[in-house]
Amino acid sequence: MTIGAISVHDVSKKFRLERNRPSSLKEAILRIGKRRDTDDFWVLRDIDLEIEPGAFFGLIGHNGSGKSTLLRLMAGIHRPTTGEISSEGRLSALLELGSGFHPDLTGRENVYLNGAMLGLGRKQMAASMDTIIEFSGIGEFIDEPVKIYSSGMYVRLGFAVAVNVDPEILLVDEVIAVGDEEFQRRCMSHMNMLRAAGTTIVLVSHNTTLMADLCDTLGWLDHGRLVEIGDPDDVVASYLAMVDAPGDNTLTTHD
Amino acid sequence: MPTLSPSVRKSVSLIYHFAERESKARYKRSILGWFWSFMNPLTTVLVYGFVFGVVYGAKAPATGNGNAENFGLYLFTGLIVWSVVTNVINGSMGWLVGVSDLRKKIYFPTETALLGGAVANAIQTLLEAVVLIGIMIVLTNISWTFVFLFAALIQAMLFGLGVGFIVSVFNARYRDVQYLIGILLNVSFFLVPIVYTQKLLDDNNVDGLIRVLLDWNPPALFVEIARDAMYFLEVPQWNRLLAATAWAGVTFSIGWVYFRDQSMAISEEP
Repeated sequence: MTIGAISVHDVSKKFRLERNRPSSLKEAILRIGKRRDTDDFWVLRDIDLEIEPGAFFGLIGHNGSGKSTLLRLMAGIHRPTTGEISSEGRLSALLELGSGFHPDLTGRENVYLNGAMLGLGRKQMAASMDTIIEFSGIGEFIDEPVKIYSSGMYVRLGFAVAVNVDPEILLVDEVIAVGDEEFQRRCMSHMNMLRAAGTTIVLVSHNTTLMADLCDTLGWLDHGRLVEIGDPDDVVASYLAMVDAPGDNTLTTHD
Repeated sequence: MPTLSPSVRKSVSLIYHFAERESKARYKRSILGWFWSFMNPLTTVLVYGFVFGVVYGAKAPATGNGNAENFGLYLFTGLIVWSVVTNVINGSMGWLVGVSDLRKKIYFPTETALLGGAVANAIQTLLEAVVLIGIMIVLTNISWTFVFLFAALIQAMLFGLGVGFIVSVFNARYRDVQYLIGILLNVSFFLVPIVYTQKLLDDNNVDGLIRVLLDWNPPALFVEIARDAMYFLEVPQWNRLLAATAWAGVTFSIGWVYFRDQSMAISEEP
């Protein structure tokens, strides 16, 4: 595989919902032999997707349609139930608020920790530390434990780290929406810079205008299935047509 | 580190990170810091030495050079090995729980958290070993056999990690496991000749299956090897060395394979 490519082949992901899950060893032992009250919930079904190196790929869809799960599978956090998913190159992900941050460590220590997770040593991280602090605009709070950070500060530092570790693949979920207008603009321009440098970017957002603007290709996930993939304007149009149409969009486990 | 592959390098820097964090976190906000790591074994040696040596009048066997019969030192040589086993097993469960939230949000090889904790533990144990060797030099009770102390410590570490890999996965599911293991370890303290001597077992005619269990369980083997090396100044019996190495190697391997197989599921625990 070429560096920066992501290949999703026939991937399905099942989560098991367990009602009255035994919460202690005692309960678990007492329940042996009894039928477990479980429900299988297919979050993703038969996803086939090839993302080319250097592509800017967007994912849209309702809440609960499986966008975030697909990103998590790409990031290697979960294993797909069936099928195969692979990516090549240094992968940096900003998946949720404070993702990859340990609440008790200071901002600076967390930057080193994140670097270690991406395979970057202390020296390399120390070299980009000033850039990261500068980009995040966090200032002297960098030496405070991140648990006292506001949600805006979390996402600022998270984004600063994710984009300044020289990623070959960047996965970004909603989160940037938490930052203020000025920070969001900075994020967008920085992502454009990364794209120009050849980084593969996968972005999830509900902001269809933004997505149509930024992405080369857009995928639309509906109830765990990839229903349409192609030119951003076309996909947004059919997605909005579906949203406007009256219908039942309740989240269920029986899809 | 030019020859290491990227994934190995990543693991090494993570192990370094977790080891550093564990060492720092342990004595955070304490004035005396590392001093406390010596206080724990020291008070144990003093209290047990007083209770068993003075109150009950237990006699420690003579040391290798024949000029000391010190129950406190007899205890210390055993405790230093035993505490590696218990601290690594108990620690593993905490180390895994400590990173499980993080692991739900970002991918990294989870075993690095346990290996990092083990490295931090190894550094502390090394300091204790230096103290023990220093005392023995002062008492002129030292010989080249001290190298077997390190063999015993490495075996204890591998064994502790092997068990730790398994119980930490159980504990990620049911937190009861940590309490259960804590109790089991307290009980098994008396399966290991730390506060009693082999001679006491001989004198009381302890034999049969119980004696086999007492003589050949892994922590007892590690303790015996360390004591031969540091207290009696003898080369440990080859069959004990072999059995101890086998216990350590097999336990570590099983734990490692099991942990690697199960660690992806940890990110899906609610």
